[in-house]
Amino acid sequence: MLAYDPGESAAHRLDARTKLLVQTAFAAAAFAHTTPSGLAALTALAVVLLAGSATPVRTALAEFRVVLPLLAAGPIVEALRLGAPWVEPTAAVAPALASYRSLLLLGLAAAYVRTTPVRESEAAVSWLVPGRPGRLLGVGVGLVFRLLPVLQADLARTREAMRARLGDERPLRDRVRIVTTAGLNRVLGRTDRLAVALRARCLSWNPTPPPSSLDRGDAVAAALAAGLLAWAVWPAGAV
Amino acid sequence: MIETRGLTHRYDAGPDSDGDNDDGDGGGRVAALADVSLRIPDGEFLVLAGANGSGKSTLVRHFNGLLTPDEGTVTVDGTPVGDDLVAARTRVGMVFQEPRDCFVAATVAADVAFGPENLGLDRAAVDARVEAALAAVEMAGRGGERIDRLSGGEQERVAIAGALAMEPAHLVLDEPFAGLDEPARASVLAHLRGLHRNGTSVVLVTHDLRDVLAPADRLVVLADGEVAVDGPPAEAVEALGEVGVRRPD
Amino acid sequence: MSTTTEGVDLVGEEVVGNLARAALFAALTGVFAYVSFQLPVTSVPFTLQVLGVFLAGVFLGPVWGAASMAIYVAAGAVGAPVFAGGGAGLGSLFGPWGGYLWSYPFAAGVVGLGVHGAGELVDPGDASLARLVGAMAAATLVVYAFGTAGYALVNDVSLATAVLVAAVPFVPAEAIKAAAAVAVVRSDAVVAR
Repeated sequence: MLAYDPGESAAHRLDARTKLLVQTAFAAAAFAHTTPSGLAALTALAVVLLAGSATPVRTALAEFRVVLPLLAAGPIVEALRLGAPWVEPTAAVAPALASYRSLLLLGLAAAYVRTTPVRESEAAVSWLVPGRPGRLLGVGVGLVFRLLPVLQADLARTREAMRARLGDERPLRDRVRIVTTAGLNRVLGRTDRLAVALRARCLSWNPTPPPSSLDRGDAVAAALAAGLLAWAVWPAGAV
Repeated sequence: MIETRGLTHRYDAGPDSDGDNDDGDGGGRVAALADVSLRIPDGEFLVLAGANGSGKSTLVRHFNGLLTPDEGTVTVDGTPVGDDLVAARTRVGMVFQEPRDCFVAATVAADVAFGPENLGLDRAAVDARVEAALAAVEMAGRGGERIDRLSGGEQERVAIAGALAMEPAHLVLDEPFAGLDEPARASVLAHLRGLHRNGTSVVLVTHDLRDVLAPADRLVVLADGEVAVDGPPAEAVEALGEVGVRRPD
Repeated sequence: MSTTTEGVDLVGEEVVGNLARAALFAALTGVFAYVSFQLPVTSVPFTLQVLGVFLAGVFLGPVWGAASMAIYVAAGAVGAPVFAGGGAGLGSLFGPWGGYLWSYPFAAGVVGLGVHGAGELVDPGDASLARLVGAMAAATLVVYAFGTAGYALVNDVSLATAVLVAAVPFVPAEAIKAAAAVAVVRSDAVVAR
């Protein structure tokens, strides 16, 4: 499971906003240059970035095994033909490059998650979305991080109980309904307690601004992002 | 000082204040509050007892303006709570039942900082308060830990720290021992005694009176939304049987 | 909210309630993203994420339902493991499933509009079967429109391939989820308020 992993790497010291900016710029460049040479260059950069965030490439890949089948399916289906010659490998080239691009982006995201504490992410959200919507979004994101393990434990108990009563032999529709009902009741039962707690602790529109830790490292990373963005808008053939 | 005068609260018939109808926090089927007048001086250790549904939780939720009286007034330091909710909620810190459902952040320090941050204090002041609050419950240095990995007793202590970070004069705890094992219960109680010794007024809402009367200055028992017993613990305890509260052994 | 001390601008009671609910439904959607079932016969695995989207719209209405899903997507983007199979990160939004994720705020809004209309919220239990089913069908269309378009775009394949790979295998599961959502909303097992 992806989670923050405390450490001392260069990426750990960067501000969350800078890391989000670099990812976005990287994605823009990758979409603009989905060519063998473009992706080769970006692969080299991604390896450097992963190294700078103490994230082994293998770990980054393992985190995303869920999407791997889907990434592989695109090129395969695209290459299939309903008549002779049945398989046309050249049609798979573009989708294969695109799938590879997704892999690079997912790897960088893994590095972000591993190097960024929840609190900084929450602050980045509030900062990126200004005003009251940003405040609500920031608090909401923080609450999701908190509530996730709580609701997970609830649901795990429900599924266990269901299994213990041979619920596995019930029709699929029933099993989905039981899990849903349990989850929903947990949520509705918690709402008022959570709202009261937020009020008691003076949830306000104008809190202390989040700590800002921009330093020289962030300037370097921002320059990298600027370079990537410039390359992204550059005509593809020119590089 | 917290003072209620003629405080009356009626619930609409229907689910109780947290919708689960089972925890006796003053649900609609039973009486809420009728003409409650109570004065809690700074520095007092008050135990508020009563059977399920006697109105304990409802009463304390008036102390910081989470509920609005139907009749009567509630003041904190002389100011009606409705006139200055922020003042009421900083003077009266509240720790709810089931702290598990009341944390607002994933890690300890972030949760404890939530209150002071809402007050807009500068960052250094927030950090200082978090440090002091965590030290007061012996959780210093554990600010980075994930709350869901803490034990029940530790979670209760973090919830207390969250309230302390507002630097309240009164600390109100609603059934803080629910779900705690004996050692955790003893540890939480010891911390409350320590806070009281340092000048914080403690209002302890509980139906379980074991061990809590020794540090208490006063015992108030609610029955059907009215003050049934009010006095020094040694005397008040004699009247417990009549109002449906088990005497401590 | 009227009350401010030293310039503290409290968030109003109603907004706090809605925010708490929105965050809880966002977290529930995240938990549903781990819960994996297998379709009979084809064995295609599916998660209950979309069910969270449906329920957010049904219980929170169009505005806060959409807000709840915006919180969900933002939380996932900055690292909460709430996407399918515990995925997270900005990369997921640009990844093969990205289109689906972008659709959720809109889909929850569609469900909310369908069930509640544009005005005051109604008790979801009172909504007619036709309204519930219609709202969820419309939302499912939104989800798949975004999802397949996103897959085609991100993976550089034709729309036909996208439909074949990223939509067709999962449609039977959507019917099961919609049926579950309707059954849950209309049953007495849920204490909606």
